[in-house]
Amino acid sequence: MSAVACELCPRRCVIPEGGAGDCRIRVNLGGKLRATTYGRPSAIHIDPMEKKPLFHFHPGTSVFSIATAGCNLHCLNCQNWQLSQRGGEEMEQIYRADPPEVVKAAKEQGCKSLAYTYSDPVVFYEYVYDTSAIARRESLNNTYHTAGYINPKPLRRLCGLLDASNTDLKAFDDGFYRRVTGATLRPVLDTLVTLREEGVWLEVTNLVIPTLNDDLAMIRRMASWMCDELGPDTPLHLSRFQPQYRMRNLPPTPVEALDRARREALDAGLHYVYIGNVPGHEANSTYCPSDGTILIRRVGFMVVENKLTADGRCPTCNQKIPGVWK
Amino acid sequence: MKTEHVRAGKRLGRRRVLALLGGIGAAGLAYPVLPKDRRPRELSLREADFYRPHDLAG
Repeated sequence: MSAVACELCPRRCVIPEGGAGDCRIRVNLGGKLRATTYGRPSAIHIDPMEKKPLFHFHPGTSVFSIATAGCNLHCLNCQNWQLSQRGGEEMEQIYRADPPEVVKAAKEQGCKSLAYTYSDPVVFYEYVYDTSAIARRESLNNTYHTAGYINPKPLRRLCGLLDASNTDLKAFDDGFYRRVTGATLRPVLDTLVTLREEGVWLEVTNLVIPTLNDDLAMIRRMASWMCDELGPDTPLHLSRFQPQYRMRNLPPTPVEALDRARREALDAGLHYVYIGNVPGHEANSTYCPSDGTILIRRVGFMVVENKLTADGRCPTCNQKIPGVWK
Repeated sequence: MKTEHVRAGKRLGRRRVLALLGGIGAAGLAYPVLPKDRRPRELSLREADFYRPHDLAG
């Protein structure tokens, strides 16, 4: 009986023969490490790019989004727990979709981008890698939506195939990570820096949970760190919490708390701070940091007006707005 | 001398014990076969409705 060590994420599970890792889907079969959900996604949808959320990457386009079961985090407030906190064999349905079929279907549907999302694509790494390689050859974009709990070596290997990522920074506090997600903060910060170094377009999401991570001093520390390590042009999405899964004892985040957090992040130096999960809020839209011109007006996930020039500049002051616009 | 007859207490007969054991054995053998309907339903991509509304985040 030979155990195998999974080197993919900082958990570094040592898996006995016939057993599974913490994520439930990476298993030891006959002494070899396998991902049971390779080519077997449980969720496939076509979404607006704004839903990911990616606001500075091909706005207003559709993205072919896939996910398999499993996750290497166990957040008490998980929004997709029916998918992420199960093994593949526990799902009601799965699709037979090997990488070439996924890319073919995305092209047939007229999508220019793929998203690896919903659960955490870290755990179905090999499937993401192979699909991304084919998508790249077919001139499709690869976007990666993750909590960022991955080891540096596999991440750098994947970065060569990624075009954009929205990575969660769930709190700027290791204690929060340990209590609420079962993970730790340091590897997530390393992932954010690596994505930036490797030239992957990066946006960050922070779900603001009342009493747990809504402290304005912590928001300021997080925004200052982002300014210093990722650059002030990195978009930050402050998202509204809704009670669910194992965290139903807290109320939804008050919109005023999100407004205060946004103000704090802007004061710390970030140029693009959005508010998510509050459809119709003015902070769903993109503004020029120089003169305040509204550049991309959004209602929920819908782009209703895009005033950026063809080369991605403010039409009023000509300031270059960072992003991948076409 | 008068003999007193005492009725023996109710006991399971040998056949009934064997039947009970047989039933338990058969149920045990059938168990791995029965939960087939709880396995995921496998679909091809052609059967997917990509535009079906959903409430997954991300």
